[in-house]
Amino acid sequence: MLERGLEEKTYVLNLGPQHPSTHGVLRVELEMEGEFITKADPDIGYGHRGHEHMAENRTYPQYLPNLSRIDYLHALAYNQCYCMGVEKLLGLTVPERGEFIRVITAEMNRLTSHLLWVGAYLMDLGAFTPFLYCFDDREQLLDLLDSLTGSRLTYCFHRFGGSPVDLDDDFITGCRKFIKRLRSRWADYDNLVTKNVIFIHRARDVGVITQEQCIKYGLTGPMVRGSGIPYDIRKSEPYSVYPLFDFEIPTGDRGDVMDRYLVRMREMEQSLRIIEQALDKLPSGPIMAEKVPKRIKPEAGEVYSAVETARGEFGCFIVSNGDVKPYRIKLRVPSFGNLSILPEIAVDTLVADLVAILGSIDVVVPEIDR
Amino acid sequence: MLKDDIQKALAPLGLSQVAEGDYAKTGCHLEVTAEPAQMPEVAEKMLSLGCFLESLTGLHYPEHFTLVYHFGNFRELCRTAVHVKVPLDQEAVSISQVYPGANWYEREAYDLYGLRFAGHPDLRRILLPFDADFHPLLKKFEASSGDA
Repeated sequence: MLERGLEEKTYVLNLGPQHPSTHGVLRVELEMEGEFITKADPDIGYGHRGHEHMAENRTYPQYLPNLSRIDYLHALAYNQCYCMGVEKLLGLTVPERGEFIRVITAEMNRLTSHLLWVGAYLMDLGAFTPFLYCFDDREQLLDLLDSLTGSRLTYCFHRFGGSPVDLDDDFITGCRKFIKRLRSRWADYDNLVTKNVIFIHRARDVGVITQEQCIKYGLTGPMVRGSGIPYDIRKSEPYSVYPLFDFEIPTGDRGDVMDRYLVRMREMEQSLRIIEQALDKLPSGPIMAEKVPKRIKPEAGEVYSAVETARGEFGCFIVSNGDVKPYRIKLRVPSFGNLSILPEIAVDTLVADLVAILGSIDVVVPEIDR
Repeated sequence: MLKDDIQKALAPLGLSQVAEGDYAKTGCHLEVTAEPAQMPEVAEKMLSLGCFLESLTGLHYPEHFTLVYHFGNFRELCRTAVHVKVPLDQEAVSISQVYPGANWYEREAYDLYGLRFAGHPDLRRILLPFDADFHPLLKKFEASSGDA
């Protein structure tokens, strides 16, 4: 410590990379005075696999499976964003039923992500039981998605031009049954967590983020909505068939941990609404575009496509030079921007609150590391 | 309209290009080209209009690097892409004084390309180990070369 020129009463604490509350392999180097943090320096990159480098070394279709391994909790939205980008480059239009399937699966996947977050986050804060409730619900969704896509976590489902598999009746009935089931659980969650005094004391007025900070750090997703900015790509930059559905963007007003929790809880109900409407309005027709070229070789150009994932804006910036391989793919991941605010909001908080703040950012570390 | 406001705000800076983009094709409403030294000014104008830095992408071409800054806005849909050409042997200019969030994006570009940012407070590697001796997104880099 003294080598660093710090005072004798300051000490350095290493949080992670193996700490359960860092969700993956994130290390945060903390300089502490007693229980209070004076400096936090996140050290990322433990899970760097070079996804952006891989993109330059394989053809467009070969890169599809990589997308689900960036953010493994909301893989279908990442699939969708990449497909949207390449479709723009190729000038392909996805048939309506194909878009509906994309929206239904992406929303189901958002629910699995939020349910996992609620469970794991409360476990960070010391509550074990909600985790079991959440995983019980999440399991039903995973079974449904498994029956459609063939995988439970790292989905590689969407294709350029649409969806490869159509929804069957079992899936639709299962979905409706699940919507009913999850709605009946909200009261349990409220009684178990939202009204829990211990939880409220851990979450209220902790880790406050202002709207100005949201802009300066480029935060997205529940992080900005918790601070009262109604920014959701599904509404502000409508893609796919989202404009056809009636749903709200829940926002908070204080920008603290509690608001971010409430935003995510309310978002789950909105996802249910979207799925319900999509099932009601599901049109018949083809699921794949008719003229998808066998050899994907887009013209030279640049395209930026963005979707709203469970954590915020995922942007896929594709630069093509007319080859069968992309010249460059930049993956703009929400957790990267969201985590970069941690050094600022961690200062002068207790180390126990840092765990609450870190969890409320909902980082998926492999997506930061890419 | 935010698009007009941005064009108006950027006009006095003497940038080489401020043009409307083809949103349906590229996903961007405005295409801007700037010199590296102009970036802090551009960033200040964007911040004053409430835009946030969406992403910073590096591109390695045989003769130069290109940095692409994407700016978005929470209130109104208007994505601005700013292209900055940086010669291979020169430095870019940091905007992390304006956008603290750019700090990590610039560290990432340095990490992947070896491109330095003048005025950056803490230009360390971010994704790769601190003692790595290569920059993996340079086009001459091959992951499969060597013993691996």
